[in-house]
Amino acid sequence: MLELDNVSKSYHLDGVRKTILTNLTFAFPADRNVAIMGHNGAGKSTLMRLLAGTETPDSGRIYRHARVSWPLGFSGGFNGSMTGLENVRFVARIYGQDTEAIIEYVREFSELGPSLNLPIRTYSSGMKARLAFGMSLAIDFQVYLIDEVTAVGDTKFRRKSKAAFQEKLERSRVIMISHSKNTIKDYCDCGIFLSPSQLLFFDDIDDLVKYYQAVVGAE
Amino acid sequence: MIKTTARELCTLQLRVIGSLVLRETRATFGTSKFGYLWAIFTPAASVGVLVFVFSLIGRHAPFGSSLALFFATGILVLQLFNELSNKLNTVFEANSALLTYPVIKDMDTLFARALLIMTTYAVIMVLFFGALFLLGMFDGPAYPERSIQAFFAACLLGLSMGLLNAVITSIWVTWIQVEKVLTRPLFFVSGIFYVPSSLPPEAMAALSWNPVLHLVEWMREGIYPNYNSAVIDRVYLFFVIMLMLLCGLAGERLLRKKRV
Repeated sequence: MLELDNVSKSYHLDGVRKTILTNLTFAFPADRNVAIMGHNGAGKSTLMRLLAGTETPDSGRIYRHARVSWPLGFSGGFNGSMTGLENVRFVARIYGQDTEAIIEYVREFSELGPSLNLPIRTYSSGMKARLAFGMSLAIDFQVYLIDEVTAVGDTKFRRKSKAAFQEKLERSRVIMISHSKNTIKDYCDCGIFLSPSQLLFFDDIDDLVKYYQAVVGAE
Repeated sequence: MIKTTARELCTLQLRVIGSLVLRETRATFGTSKFGYLWAIFTPAASVGVLVFVFSLIGRHAPFGSSLALFFATGILVLQLFNELSNKLNTVFEANSALLTYPVIKDMDTLFARALLIMTTYAVIMVLFFGALFLLGMFDGPAYPERSIQAFFAACLLGLSMGLLNAVITSIWVTWIQVEKVLTRPLFFVSGIFYVPSSLPPEAMAALSWNPVLHLVEWMREGIYPNYNSAVIDRVYLFFVIMLMLLCGLAGERLLRKKRV
């Protein structure tokens, strides 16, 4: 579904060159839910942005044979002076969705009620996360990219989110970054460990978690 | 595997630009109920001030019989250019959050903003010249096709300047201030409140370097039956537009990775 072909990525900041990925070739297995783990700064989020297409690699190619979401768990795309509804309508439009159906779904799912008619800048971070999560679920993606979504809201909302997402997983796949062992085990069945020098693939999610704990715990 | 055809890419492009224009409209005019009125009031006020000052010192219109019409032909064109070059200058920075959505590229945000400004000014011009016509100060454009050409030339010059500005600002933020200072004299050197052809030849030669002056002259040749500009050089104007577009687009492509 997603393939990296000889991908390299580095950043230049204040004269310092930071290499994130070097000549990486990897095909994400289709029909599997993949976890991405690694140290802080290993390039997990960069990899996610490359997969989504928000950033381009320095060299190499990335093939997307599926409808891939934007990196979720991030509400940076909201315009603060526009209302929740206006933001949802905008995203529905750029993805060519039925605007009213999306709004109905988000209204029902986010439980934000009349707040949806208020500007985003009046929202708490929890409210923003509810809106962002509802919006991404409303659009049918084949692959959801999730960057460290820590559970949002109260227990009731968390349970609802989890149920809604499990339902999605019957038809869609997920690629997820997380440091939490439980979250990873809940959603993923295989995974990769990313370090500056290499990418290790683990066919069994338990092996990945064990390896992660051994490497990170050893420090 | 999902095959993306040229047709699908075109509809995606139109969809993205369309949504961005709607969003930009909301952000520009939606903050107050008088947003639209303000857009029309600002150029009207500039023309009003000039008319007031010139009437006070007892001067006649430099060309034609109406002060308001003469100033409008200059000010509206200059403001269209200025609005594009200033507002596009900050467009990459202002919309960087939108790049969260992979379907949006920052050139889309630039084109969307440019489209909104152009449409706004088309409406402003029709309303303004229409009002002068109803008030009996204007007999209608002598050569409407020339006025329309002048409008689109102003859009192109503004767009290319705005793009170049945005690219420079993306590597050097101070350019936002520098550009403002550099373009301020345009009000005096673009023939807004005088007829360039009636100036001494040396002054004419110096002013003819300013591409905005050619835009104003072009507009007047469309509005008045016998304006006959001695300065206008459309080839030069398009040379400047093409040169700036080339530098702007090349700069955008070369610096794309640096911006993200």
